[in-house]
Amino acid sequence: MTTQNIIEISGVEKRFGTFTAVRDLNLTLKEGEFFSLLGPSGCGKTTALRMIAGFQDHDAGSIRIGGQDMAHIPANKRPTNMVFQSYAIFPHLNVGDNVAFGLRKLKLGKAETDDRVAEALEMVELGGLQSRKATELSGGQRQRVALARALVMRPKVLLLDEPLSALDKNLREAMQFEMRRLQQKLGITFVMVTHDQYEAMTMSDRIGVMFKGQLKQVDKPEVLYARPCSQEVAAFIGGMNFLDAAVTGEVNGKLHADVQGFGPLSIDVNPNVARRGPQLLAGIRPEQLEISAQKPDGYDGYLQGTVTNAAFYGENVHYHVTADGLPQPIAVSVPNYFHTVDHKQGDPVWLGVQNASVIDLGAREA
Amino acid sequence: MSTPVSEPLNKPLSAAASKSRRRPLRFPWLLVYAIGYLIFLYLPVLLLPLFSFNDGTIVAFPMKGFTLKWYAQLGEQDTLLQAMVNSLIVGAVTALVATSLGLFAARAYVRYRFRGRELSEGLVMLPLVIPGIIVASSMLVLFISLGLKPSLTTVILGHVFVALPFAVSIMKSAFDDFDQSLEEAAFDLGESVIGTFRRVTLPIVAPGIVASLLVTFTVSFDEFVLAFFLSGNQPTLPVYIWSQIRFPAKLPNTLALGSLLLLASVLLLLTAEYFRRRSAKSA
Repeated sequence: MTTQNIIEISGVEKRFGTFTAVRDLNLTLKEGEFFSLLGPSGCGKTTALRMIAGFQDHDAGSIRIGGQDMAHIPANKRPTNMVFQSYAIFPHLNVGDNVAFGLRKLKLGKAETDDRVAEALEMVELGGLQSRKATELSGGQRQRVALARALVMRPKVLLLDEPLSALDKNLREAMQFEMRRLQQKLGITFVMVTHDQYEAMTMSDRIGVMFKGQLKQVDKPEVLYARPCSQEVAAFIGGMNFLDAAVTGEVNGKLHADVQGFGPLSIDVNPNVARRGPQLLAGIRPEQLEISAQKPDGYDGYLQGTVTNAAFYGENVHYHVTADGLPQPIAVSVPNYFHTVDHKQGDPVWLGVQNASVIDLGAREA
Repeated sequence: MSTPVSEPLNKPLSAAASKSRRRPLRFPWLLVYAIGYLIFLYLPVLLLPLFSFNDGTIVAFPMKGFTLKWYAQLGEQDTLLQAMVNSLIVGAVTALVATSLGLFAARAYVRYRFRGRELSEGLVMLPLVIPGIIVASSMLVLFISLGLKPSLTTVILGHVFVALPFAVSIMKSAFDDFDQSLEEAAFDLGESVIGTFRRVTLPIVAPGIVASLLVTFTVSFDEFVLAFFLSGNQPTLPVYIWSQIRFPAKLPNTLALGSLLLLASVLLLLTAEYFRRRSAKSA
């Protein structure tokens, strides 16, 4: 199977007055891919999406969709459709007319229009609701209508601007799986903008992380989590303990380093690291640490400390552990197997870590 | 065992009950003031319909008896009917022009941030505070120096000027709650800019448009000073009424006409308010 590039963005820049919202954006998306742009608010991800949609012109670089240059092609002539954050359901039209809105322009004839509307509503599990008023829809239903209204146009690329942020938690999680299933069934390229790391990770084939107008890293969710390219990406995705380390040598792609608190460890060189410096920053995920009252067996590095905080989160228990010489407590997350909080505030504990759990993050950022 | 359970349940209930208990009655000064104010405001207006049913030409108590003849006579007066037609034409054209201008101006004010927006908004609202007599006399000078004879056309131009602030503020409130992504969504679905305006923008702000048409019509219909200066020999209804007040015998007719206009104005404004609320709700 050959997968073609559907979107090719190179050197794209967008300025608003003196503010550069997006700088030097380079990104290639494959046909049928679910791609997420992830970043904090104001990082330029929505601007990037709106440039793909055609709502905003780019000041430099080029955007190609399906091999065609999109310069000066307005949104209504592009092979993309968008699901808006507010869903933008037309309040004066019923569900059927909302979904048929774009089809009317294609002049397909009544029978085909009706068939395609029915099919699209079926797809989002709103079959038969054509005559329901837009004002009578629940939040989740509005989201589905917005999806159907965009998908009925059979776009090459579906753009989604924070599509789940208006829904409550349970519905959001259900829709994550449903949208993923729909995307895989249709094979359409989805480009989603989100500030929610879990949303991005559960739904996407690949994620692009943006900060201050720049795309910092593009990778599969697992790689992004295990091998983030920098401190800021590591801090944005999941929890992370940052520890300074002094490199003592490098052998066969492994850094030998003296990690603050844990002593000498052997760390895999992270090929994604963007910036190197004299000091190494090591990262350890809270769930990769072992916590125990006695010294646990079979770990490569140990730390003896005191519990300063224990919090019960339901599916897991979070601890903060301090030790002499550590600038800040180390976060540990333990799955909740036996419905107990094993260590209390003030308890002395041992932490254990494997070499493979320590992440090379390059240079510390200011 | 039951005491500790029932106590926390009872507490908020009794607290709420004591809160809703009436405070001791005092002399309701505020109510008296409010009623006095309303009487002062509306009693003179109510005298108009009252005396329009009085069987006598002198407007004074005691009243003579009940009659409908002043109303019946209205239909026979050709100049009055012509003035009525003039006012309807001026009102309708003013409403259409002011509302169209207000629609586009309001959309720009709400949707775009451009240089001079606040200045322009202030200038549009200015007619609300300029004395009518000044506007009227300066417009008369302007129109005459342009070679434009006083006529219904010049009245319409003057009325558009004073009605525009009403149209702009009504349309602005219609656009205020209008989600911009609705227009973007229509455009994104392949519709043209004009098609988007026709299929999405217009239907959604339609109640605001109706409200604006009604209010601007009423503003024009009731306006006297500008019409007096600019109408020449084509008087509008208020100008005609004013000219009739000099003849005591015609006064009861004028009262009857005024009562009808009052009723029509109230009905129009109530309808406008209904549409304005509906536009605020639907957006």
